[in-house]
Amino acid sequence: MLQPKLKSKVQCTDLNIGEVTKVVLDPLSHEISHIVVSVNGSGERQVAMGHVQVVTDDLVQLRAPSTEILALPPFKREDYVTTHEVEISHLEDHIHVTPGEVLVPLPDLEKSVKRRTFFMNFTNVIGFLIGLPLAYPILRFLMKPMYAEFDNQWLKVGNVNKIKQADVGVQFKYKKKVKEVYMPEYEIEKNVWILRATPELLDKVYNDKDAEFRDAKGKTIWTNKKDVPYVAFSGKCPHLGCGFKWRQHKTLGQVFLCPCHLSIYGATGRVLDGPAPRGLDALPLKVHASGEVEVIDMEFKAGTKLQVRIV
Amino acid sequence: MNIKQSAPTTVHNPHQPSAVEKLVAFLDERMGLKEMQAKMLNEPLPGGSRWAYVFGSVLLFIFAMQALTGMLLMFYYVPTADHAYDSTQYIIHEVDYGWFLLSYHFWGSSAMVVCVFAHMSQVFLWGAYKKPRELLWLVGLALLGIVITFGFTGYLLPWDQRAFWATLVGVEILDKAPLVGDFIARFLKGGPTPGQMTLSRFFVLHVMILPAALMALAGLHIFLFRVAAPAGPFKGTVEEIKAKTDYFFPRQIWKDIVGMAFVFVGICALALWEPVVLLDKATPDPGEYHPEPEWYFLFYFQLLRLKLFAGQLGQFIGAVALPVVFMVLLVALPFMDKDPERNIFKRPIALISWIAIMVVIVLFTVAAVINREFLD
Repeated sequence: MLQPKLKSKVQCTDLNIGEVTKVVLDPLSHEISHIVVSVNGSGERQVAMGHVQVVTDDLVQLRAPSTEILALPPFKREDYVTTHEVEISHLEDHIHVTPGEVLVPLPDLEKSVKRRTFFMNFTNVIGFLIGLPLAYPILRFLMKPMYAEFDNQWLKVGNVNKIKQADVGVQFKYKKKVKEVYMPEYEIEKNVWILRATPELLDKVYNDKDAEFRDAKGKTIWTNKKDVPYVAFSGKCPHLGCGFKWRQHKTLGQVFLCPCHLSIYGATGRVLDGPAPRGLDALPLKVHASGEVEVIDMEFKAGTKLQVRIV
Repeated sequence: MNIKQSAPTTVHNPHQPSAVEKLVAFLDERMGLKEMQAKMLNEPLPGGSRWAYVFGSVLLFIFAMQALTGMLLMFYYVPTADHAYDSTQYIIHEVDYGWFLLSYHFWGSSAMVVCVFAHMSQVFLWGAYKKPRELLWLVGLALLGIVITFGFTGYLLPWDQRAFWATLVGVEILDKAPLVGDFIARFLKGGPTPGQMTLSRFFVLHVMILPAALMALAGLHIFLFRVAAPAGPFKGTVEEIKAKTDYFFPRQIWKDIVGMAFVFVGICALALWEPVVLLDKATPDPGEYHPEPEWYFLFYFQLLRLKLFAGQLGQFIGAVALPVVFMVLLVALPFMDKDPERNIFKRPIALISWIAIMVVIVLFTVAAVINREFLD
C-alpha cells in the first residue's frame, strides 16, 4: 500500500471529510501509525492506520463512516514532538510523505565533471604520498635508544669476607653509573647474590665444565673457572624480572624465593618450584686475593628457557 | 494556531526578552542551539530509565575529572628520572592540596576500571552487544584497552619502587609476545632496560596519545550509540516497553547525576582516608619491597603464579595466549552470538561464563592478598 501523503483528501465510506495534515510515526517500528485529518470546519482528528482501507496518489480511503471519525477526540498537538525535537535515528528512513521531492540546482561547474572517482582516488594517493616518506623517519626517530651495545665492564661489588657461611645466598648491593641519552650520568642501585660454594655445590653448578661468557659477536670475554669457590647470580629473577630473596622455606630449606610469582631456586640456582622457565643467571665473577669481588653486570631476558642477553 | 495567524502584527509582546534570552536567541540563530539541545536530551529510552544505565555517563564524568586533576598535576610534575620522584613528593608534601589532587587522580583510575567493568557487564548481561550494536561493542573494547593502558602508563610516572617494578614486570610480559614482543618491549622501554626513555615514553602516552585516542573513540562510541539507539530491557512486550519509555532527560539524567555524585564522594573519601604515599625512589634493586601490581591486576598476577603457567611454554600460555584468546573472544562475541534472544536467564552459556569470570577474579584476588602474609 502507498503511504498517505500530506494534502491527500480523506474519504470516509459516506463522504469526503477533509485532508491529511500530519503523519504520526511509531517510535519503535518507524512506520506511520496514525494520520492527522483536518476535518472540514471542525478541527483535527487522529486516525489510526487500522482505519485506512486503501491509499492512492491523492486520496486516503477509510473503512469507517464520517460519524465515527468525527466522534474521535480532537487531535492534541501538545502530546507530540516533531522530528527536530527528538533523537530517534533512522526515524524517517521509511517515510515518503513529502508531496514531491525537495530539490536544489546543481552548480554549473559540477555538471561537466566526469571523473569523480578518479579525483577521489587521486586525492587518496596524494595523501598517501605525503604520509609515506614520513613513516620511516618517524619509526627511526622513535627507535633511536632501543638497541644498545653490551656493557662488559667489571664493577666492584664488595668484599667476600662479608660471607660468613658456605652455600648461603648473600646479597651484594652496588652502584652502577648510567649515561642515558642527553641525561647527565647518574647512579642506580643494583644487587647481585654471591655464594661461597662447597665443592659439592660447585659440582652441581658447573657440572664439571667451566662457564664461558661471550659478547654479541660470540667472542669469549670471560670464563668462570669451575674450581673458584664463589658463584654470582644476577639479581633479576628469570621468570618476569623481579628481585628475589634468600629465604627459609618450610619444606625446601634455605632457597632463593621471588616474591612476585613465587619462583623458588636452590643454592645452585636451579628451579625447585614455581613458574620460572630457567635457573638463576650466573654472572662473570672475579675474586681478588684481597677478597674484593667484581662482576660484569649482564642482564638477560626474563621468561625464556635459554638465556638471551639484553645488557 | 488560528489565533497566532489572525493576531494583528501591531500588538506588542508584553514580555521583553532578558539579556540571557537575547544571548540564547543569538546563539540559537547561528548554531541551532535549541534543536541541538532537544536532540541531545530527547532521546527515547525504550522501557524507561534505569540505575543500571548510569555507568556510561559516570565514565565520562570520571574521565573529565581525571583530565582536570591530571592537567593540574602537570603544573608541578617533571617527567625525568632525576626529578619525577622528587616532583611527585613535592606535590604530595608541599603544594597546597597537592596530596588531594594526586590521590583523587590515583583513586579515580581505580574508579574508572570498576565502572568500565560494570558498564561492560551491564551490556553483556543485557545482551546489548548484539546486532545492530556490534560496532558499539568493538569500540567499547578498544576503550577498555585504552583505560588499561592509561592505568599501566600512569603507574610509572611517580617513579617510585612500586612504579618501577610494576612496569618492569608488565613490559616483560609484553616481551613474551611472539615475533613482535622484543620490539614492543624495547620500544616501550626506549632501550634494553627501564630508565629515562621509558619514563618519557610512558609520559607522552599517558598525557597526549591516550587522552586523544580516548576522546576520539569515546566520541565515536557515543555517536554509534545514538545511531543504534539504546537497546532497552531484555524482556517485556512492545506495549509494555512503549508504556514505560521516557526520554534521556530528565529521569535518566537524574539517575546519572546521582551516580556521578556517588562516585565523586567515593573517590574523595578514598583520597582522604587512603592518600597516595610513595615508596622509595625507583631503582633496579627492590630491597625489602615485594613488587605487586595495582589491585585490579592482582588476580592476573596471582594467575601467573600457577604451576600451570610454569616454564617458557606455560608462560607463553599464561602471559600471552590467555589474554589474547580472551580479547579475541570478546571481539568475536557479537558475531558468534547471532541469537537475538537478549534475556540473560535464557542465555545459560553467557550467564555461566560471566559468573565463572567473576569467580576467577574474586578467588585469585583473594588468594593474592592471602599470599602477602606468607611473604613477610
